[in-house]
Amino acid sequence: MCGIIGIVTKRREGQTAEIAVECLDRLSYRGYDSVGVATLGDNLEVVKMKGKVEDFSHKFDVNSIRGKVILGHTRWATHGPPTDYNAHPHTDCSNSIAVVHNGTIENFRELKAELEMLGHKFKSQTDTEIIPHLIEEFKRRGMDSFSAFKATVNAIEGTYAILAVIRGDNRIYFAKKYNPLVIGIGEDTNYISSDIPSFLPYTKTIVVISDDEVGYLTADSPLNGGVYIEHKGEKIEVNDRIKIINWDAESASKEGYRHFMEKEIMESPRSVKETISGLLADIDEVMKAVKILKDSRRILIVGAGTSYHAGLLFSILLQREGINAIPVIASEYYNYRTSTDDSILAISQSGETLDVRLAIGKFKAEGSKIISLTNVIYSEISRQSDVSLYTSAGPEIGVAATKTFTSQVASLLLLWSAIKDEDFSYLRNAHIVVEDSLSLSGKASAFGEELAKQSNAYFLGRGLSLPLAMEAALKVKEIAYIHSEAYPAGESKHGPIALVTQGFPVIFINGEEDLGLQDNVQEMKARGSKTYSISINKSLNTDREILIKVNDKRLFPLAIAPLIQILAYRSAVIKGTDPDKPRNLAKTVTVR
Amino acid sequence: MKAIVLAAGRGEGLLPFTEGEQKESISLLGKSIISYSLEGLKKAGIKEAVVIINDRGVQIDVDLPIELVRQKTPGITGAVRDGMEKIDDDYFVLTFGDIVSPPEFYINLMNAYAVNGEAVFSLVPVNEGIQTYGLARIRNEKLEIVKDGESTLALGGAYVLPRGDFDDLLEYLSRISEKAKYFIWSGEWADIGYPEDLINAVEMMLRNRKTIIGDSLISRTAVIGKAIIEDGAIIDDFADIKGPAYIGKNAYIGSFSLIRDYSSIETGAQVGAYCEVSHSLIQPKAIIGSKSYLTYSVIGREANIGSSVITANYPAKTSRGKVNKLGALISPWKEIKHGSVLEPGYKV
Repeated sequence: MCGIIGIVTKRREGQTAEIAVECLDRLSYRGYDSVGVATLGDNLEVVKMKGKVEDFSHKFDVNSIRGKVILGHTRWATHGPPTDYNAHPHTDCSNSIAVVHNGTIENFRELKAELEMLGHKFKSQTDTEIIPHLIEEFKRRGMDSFSAFKATVNAIEGTYAILAVIRGDNRIYFAKKYNPLVIGIGEDTNYISSDIPSFLPYTKTIVVISDDEVGYLTADSPLNGGVYIEHKGEKIEVNDRIKIINWDAESASKEGYRHFMEKEIMESPRSVKETISGLLADIDEVMKAVKILKDSRRILIVGAGTSYHAGLLFSILLQREGINAIPVIASEYYNYRTSTDDSILAISQSGETLDVRLAIGKFKAEGSKIISLTNVIYSEISRQSDVSLYTSAGPEIGVAATKTFTSQVASLLLLWSAIKDEDFSYLRNAHIVVEDSLSLSGKASAFGEELAKQSNAYFLGRGLSLPLAMEAALKVKEIAYIHSEAYPAGESKHGPIALVTQGFPVIFINGEEDLGLQDNVQEMKARGSKTYSISINKSLNTDREILIKVNDKRLFPLAIAPLIQILAYRSAVIKGTDPDKPRNLAKTVTVR
Repeated sequence: MKAIVLAAGRGEGLLPFTEGEQKESISLLGKSIISYSLEGLKKAGIKEAVVIINDRGVQIDVDLPIELVRQKTPGITGAVRDGMEKIDDDYFVLTFGDIVSPPEFYINLMNAYAVNGEAVFSLVPVNEGIQTYGLARIRNEKLEIVKDGESTLALGGAYVLPRGDFDDLLEYLSRISEKAKYFIWSGEWADIGYPEDLINAVEMMLRNRKTIIGDSLISRTAVIGKAIIEDGAIIDDFADIKGPAYIGKNAYIGSFSLIRDYSSIETGAQVGAYCEVSHSLIQPKAIIGSKSYLTYSVIGREANIGSSVITANYPAKTSRGKVNKLGALISPWKEIKHGSVLEPGYKV
């Protein structure tokens, strides 16, 4: 995911660049590992860097950047590390064409090879860079700018929202397929962006671009031909499409959802699918990790919060194979001494978690090999690792981890199968398991509504369901502020059951049948507790139950994860708390 | 963009009540049901609505330019097609007039449309009476309308759709859904189809409301708990509005009456002395005789309930109830004799 913005203005002395940077700041939820801006005045100037938008405005004197046509980009790296070179905008050989792009070009290797044969010089590893060179190539063959742009769009395959500027034209060329693109009509200034919120402070008049459309934008009003759009060669009547919107920027970026958390839970199938295909595309890295893990005497799996729970689940999978795997809560790293025979798997969504960094710092010094699993390419933790693996969940804005947890679990299942030398093909259906589970949202919501009336709850599970029970308890605690504890179900009778009185809610996570959970249900029922269960394939005799059918049992954690998140989300909503911004919590924890 | 709002259904789940009054005209907290969707559409930037009606017409309490269209072709497909004749744009909003939801629901719908520029479906997680809803699920990132209970995601009754040709609305929705965007709405939402939906809707709407007292006449000896009391209402001596409750404009609550637990006494309704009302909806200008007990009941417009009428609510079979309780459903303008004891689920 990336954010792109284009601005074209008639104002002579503008703070256009400053506006572009402000727009980019509002787009940074779509990616924040590199930023770049291109301005077209008499010359084409490009400034770009790895880092966040605020670092960009510190590094460059934004006001000194002047131009009437501006492109901006904020990147979320999926291919190639976030470096200054890989940051957008990208330019052609003669530095007269600049392009920003959100999406993936599937046939870029072929096109790049062809362009290189024709003498084009590439500066980055990105797929985007072929676009300015293609336009340059078509122009060199005598086409006018718009025809060259259209020919370029026809030549590429994949998903994209593209903006291009060409020296000599006071226009922004654009094309869209699959990724979003919206025009904002202002007074003597027009905008085009990945989303509405980025330009919402300047205009509320918009034109939405549909798939397979190309066109260009000038600073004129649409009534004077400022916006030209065509679809498969036919001109679109732009004036029919003009809309005026009347809401605030934050709600617009949620695309209909009330909270980012719910939107992100619903994005889990896609995150899981992209995570699996991302890892399969980079299978060499995965096999490197597998080799290290297999050759180790012990594997320490380090994580904090939700990532620890994903790691705990993985450690159980490994232990069942007779592999010596030790789950480590990152902040308790000093309790362990490792050696060169050991390896470390560090799990962190942000790749910046301080406790995890401290832990791997110590273990690395002791000679252990480090493998990391993060959601941010080239993050701090990835850079400190011998092998870096990534989930491709996309940026997550809600503080509570949702789609990133499910994607971590999917990655770890893949790693587990690789260690066991198993066929991966079952993982291609992983996202369907998540989708089927999400279609049971109504039932999980109903559990959440009941839980919202309680002040305490137990989550019990056995085996692989225990880390899921722990994750459920954490979610309910952190966003619904209900005191909830997770225990191994068998352990619950050694103390915790003392708190159980009439109506005390106990939620069983019943992922693996035949582990003896039924006895624990009876014990809790006998004390008058209200029992709930989330069960896979086989019913448990609780008062209320969500039963999910999962054909391939190995995938069952992916069916449970979204439902425990929805349960917690609904409790929070019913209680009236803001699940996106739980009190006292931060998304990335960089303190001890 | 224009909206088509459907309000010509037969209201089968609410018969015989809906023989006398269109479902969408039923009053909830001072406004007809259809007014909630119209108000939401207005706040979401819709400038004009086409409302499809039948012979019963519909009560509209919202200031929005409206074109009333009498349904010519039968069925829901016919209703939408009749409405579409009034649409010139490529896209229109389709909403069901019997959905009660806050404006945010419609704003979010338009929001999703503005961002994507394509058809949008709203989905709502449901748990009770799943089979009574139109359901959808997500398969390979696409929306799929499902025929039988494989999902708990109900179609939310608000869509942005392209104008098009079709012989069957559901088939059209299925066709559109493949390419449509969707969002889940987990805020307040009620699809009014059965008596229990009205009772649940009153609870939903009163759950998080603060006490507001308008320019009303409240006896110094009355006790007011959590309640919204509108202008002109009269609360007589020693009445206890424990709430959560809504007391409409010019409504009257007699001496020593207890109004509790999610009850709504609509505009101009009168509750005599020594009554108890719980989990009930009393429509405008209905009269409740003294010493009556109403629980989980819906009393129609201008109905006349005699003195000492007792409703019973348990055990009852409901289609969508969270509890198996249901009292009486009394149609508009009906009379109930003094001293009647009405069985759970009684309908007249």
